[in-house]
Amino acid sequence: MDFITLEDVEREYRVGDNIIKAVDGVSFALAQGTFNVILGQSGAGKTTILNLLGGMDSPTSGTISVGGEEVSGMEERELTNYRRTKIGFVFQFYNLVPNLTALENVQLAEEVCRDPLDAQEMLDRVGLSKRMDNFPSQMSGGEQQRVSIARALAKNPQIVLCDEPTGALDSVTGRKVLKLIRDVAIDLGKTVVIVTHNAPIAEMAQTVIHMRDGKIAETETHEHPKDVEEIVW
Amino acid sequence: MVRGALWKKTIRDMKQSKSQFVSILIMATLAVSIVTGLDSIWFTIQNHADAMYRSTSLSDLWVTVANPSEQQLWGIKQIDGVTRVEQRYCADADTDLPGNPTLRVYALDDRSTLDQPDVQEGSFEKYGGGAVLDENFAESNGLKIGDVVSIKLNGAWVRVPITGLGLSSEQIFAVKNSASLMPDSKSFGFLVVHAGTLESVYGRKVYNQISVRLASGTDVPQVERQADAVIGKELIGIVSQKDSGSVNSVDSRIQQFRTLGIVFPLLFFIVTALITQSTMVRLVENQRSQIGILKALGYSRRSILWHYTSYGVVIGLCGSLLGLAMGPNVFGRILVPRVKLTFSDYRISVNFLHFFLAMALILICTGGVSFYACRKLQGDTPAVLLRDRPPKKGNHIFLESLPSLWRKLKFSSKLIARNTMKNKGRLMMSTVGVMGCTGAILAALTIRSMISGITVQMYGTTFNYDQKILVDQTKTDTRYLANQELNGIVQQTEESNLELICPNGRRKMEPLTITSKNSPLIHLQDVSGNPVSIPENGIAVSRKLTETLGVKPGDSIQIKRTDQKYVTVPVTQVFYLASGQGIFMSDAYWKSLGETFKPTALLVKWNGVPNEKFLSSDAVEESVTRESQRSGLSGSTQVVNIAVAMMIVMGAALAFVVLYNTSILNFTERIRDLATLRVLGFYHGEIRNLVLIENYFSVFPGMIFGIPVGRSISWIVAKNLDSRLDLFGTITPQNVLIAGILTLFFAWIINRAVAKKMKNLDILSALKSVE
Repeated sequence: MDFITLEDVEREYRVGDNIIKAVDGVSFALAQGTFNVILGQSGAGKTTILNLLGGMDSPTSGTISVGGEEVSGMEERELTNYRRTKIGFVFQFYNLVPNLTALENVQLAEEVCRDPLDAQEMLDRVGLSKRMDNFPSQMSGGEQQRVSIARALAKNPQIVLCDEPTGALDSVTGRKVLKLIRDVAIDLGKTVVIVTHNAPIAEMAQTVIHMRDGKIAETETHEHPKDVEEIVW
Repeated sequence: MVRGALWKKTIRDMKQSKSQFVSILIMATLAVSIVTGLDSIWFTIQNHADAMYRSTSLSDLWVTVANPSEQQLWGIKQIDGVTRVEQRYCADADTDLPGNPTLRVYALDDRSTLDQPDVQEGSFEKYGGGAVLDENFAESNGLKIGDVVSIKLNGAWVRVPITGLGLSSEQIFAVKNSASLMPDSKSFGFLVVHAGTLESVYGRKVYNQISVRLASGTDVPQVERQADAVIGKELIGIVSQKDSGSVNSVDSRIQQFRTLGIVFPLLFFIVTALITQSTMVRLVENQRSQIGILKALGYSRRSILWHYTSYGVVIGLCGSLLGLAMGPNVFGRILVPRVKLTFSDYRISVNFLHFFLAMALILICTGGVSFYACRKLQGDTPAVLLRDRPPKKGNHIFLESLPSLWRKLKFSSKLIARNTMKNKGRLMMSTVGVMGCTGAILAALTIRSMISGITVQMYGTTFNYDQKILVDQTKTDTRYLANQELNGIVQQTEESNLELICPNGRRKMEPLTITSKNSPLIHLQDVSGNPVSIPENGIAVSRKLTETLGVKPGDSIQIKRTDQKYVTVPVTQVFYLASGQGIFMSDAYWKSLGETFKPTALLVKWNGVPNEKFLSSDAVEESVTRESQRSGLSGSTQVVNIAVAMMIVMGAALAFVVLYNTSILNFTERIRDLATLRVLGFYHGEIRNLVLIENYFSVFPGMIFGIPVGRSISWIVAKNLDSRLDLFGTITPQNVLIAGILTLFFAWIINRAVAKKMKNLDILSALKSVE
């Protein structure tokens, strides 16, 4: 049963007189509650895919549907509503609001969606119950990323999208963060899509989509994905 | 010094932060242009007036005396400090022109050199029986050189050929008497003739004034006292140059713009400094690593400091020059011709001394503030500067110490509260800007109501007649007037100029009105609106005049009777009159001083139609309706409306620049946060409110603080507007409300503009741009 399907999706950008095809005829399908990785070098179009999935951008052609709902034809306001209720985002640079404490950053999510999960419980789950009243500037990178994960999950989204979540972290912290994403998200029944250029991470995923020059180079599926501890990078 | 590359960097940096630097430039330009503009107004007036006083040899003192004798002239000549003495004749004459305008006739002697007309066209032709007519009067009444004007003096008509058109130093501000607020060249002007011209009327040359020229630095009151002693009983009055109508009005206008020129621009200087501060702090923070690179490259501390200071200096210099170009040309050119002073031309003079002071001040506000803003980063070593900027701190604010309140707040309110508190400088900047906006609007509205209130106080409350009929005193007496069948309420009044000596010994000439005690058509009031009766055993003095004379109820002053003897009278009442200050006294009291009551005017409230037979009779000199007096007064305040409009525009400019600048700063500074919220699924409207609601934190306090600012500006204007006006500049709740609504309206427009800009927020690129 496919939860996310992309059919022949193209995304063009106009840069001066040139048209650049960031995504060029991509089709794939992902099942609900799975842990997936889109792998590729920079400029391969993986982030564009993530943006399209997250309703931050619309495709030039092709269709994207999530849970039976077509995202590709949505208006600006519908897209906002889609992001609001269905999507949780985790960024490479955390993007926490510096003027809000950890708890308040997670409460942001409560503010916008219909049936949020409890903010304190989410922070508890990512192991930050003691740092709830700290501001982002008072926390380490790993801690900030954990707040960001808690924030994404507290929205109780259907999909969690992560853009290079370990990109700004050292390997030990990165591992912890990945484990957290997988354990908590999958435990809560979320579908996770991670975009990275870091090949070993792919070994954790059930589905790995390799991208090159805006096209899918290869799709592999792992019946038994590796545990984070087994990965070497 | 600035090196080529750094110089290019300056220009490009400015382009990048266009809206901030343009804001600073606008504020600096406005600040300097208001200073130079308001200065150019009074400076131009002063220069033109001084030049005219010099070129026409305006006297320092006029001694009015009927037919001065050779001895009297000689006696005055002997007074210490007197350098020249001449005699002339001065009187108001009716004309045969439509509307019966009045001409003040000056008849000059053969050898006269003082108080000459400033001939603009044609010539005086003194000996050929020629005359110089008021240029503006000629224009308004369609007269030209070669025409003949008929004037009525001493009951006889004289035909005077006009040989020249010109101006007079005594009629730069040409009003007939203290009742007229603004010059009206259609109804009043002057005419300069040769003394010989009047021989046909009087049968000989007549004089009634001695013009006196004093050496500079002479003690004028001292000369006045001595002249009084010389002339003795026959003295009618002494007026010094400073106290004479036109010179006094010109001076009060100079004073008025001088005061405004100091008070009003202050706000703009403060706001310029605050905008520069917030812009430069942010710029220097953002260029932290660049400063590190420059240092690492070997640029000296001084050249980097100068580099950042130069941003402010460049803007300050540009603003000063633009202000210099704009102020005199806009303010000067629009307002100088409308202050109703008659000069031969309106070439605007610029007060360069004040311009340089304003420029120095603006350079402190821009360059000085920039220097201060970048100084604190200079201490760090290149290595420290090149390292990542310490992350922006979030801070707990005082509201959080009230957990019960804090917990109830929505997170968006918390975010707004924290962000506002974090940018206190910016909050202050916009508060000051809004304060200036509300203050300027409130002052403008108050001044307008104040001026229109004059009409209401004068012709609504105090004077209640339909018509004021000036009668010929020689052909009428009280009995004659009482026997006229005037169907309606009639009040007889006698109006004259009273010479008096103040408690401090100073002599003054002030308007006196004598009328019946019950006074059915003149209702005097005090400042708070309680009725004031016309006293039976003393005099009533208008409030402003009590200040000028230095008296209070219970004090006594000496007044001169018609037999030239002084009597001491008590001041028993003080009344309030918005315009035209003077003294009131009852006819009974006047008689008790040994005088006779000879009415000069009848105030009438008709029962039905006016008695045309009486109005066209020989006894009537002139009649005016209260309606025409009222509309004349309101029509004469055009300059006020223009000044009011300018003040509102200035106020709006303050609010626009400041709020727009804060919002844009607030938006660009937090663009990543806002983009994150957008990704989280916040609607455009919610994001917009996060940025824009913050503006109201400065708008509301700014509005509150604006009220006292507006009050002070109105008060200063009220006190300096005109010596004949008694105004307070009281702010009314209504005007406060309108000023508040206008301020909010401006804030709302700015918010709309910023919201439009925010709508184009590209979340993808905002999130990508990580330093």
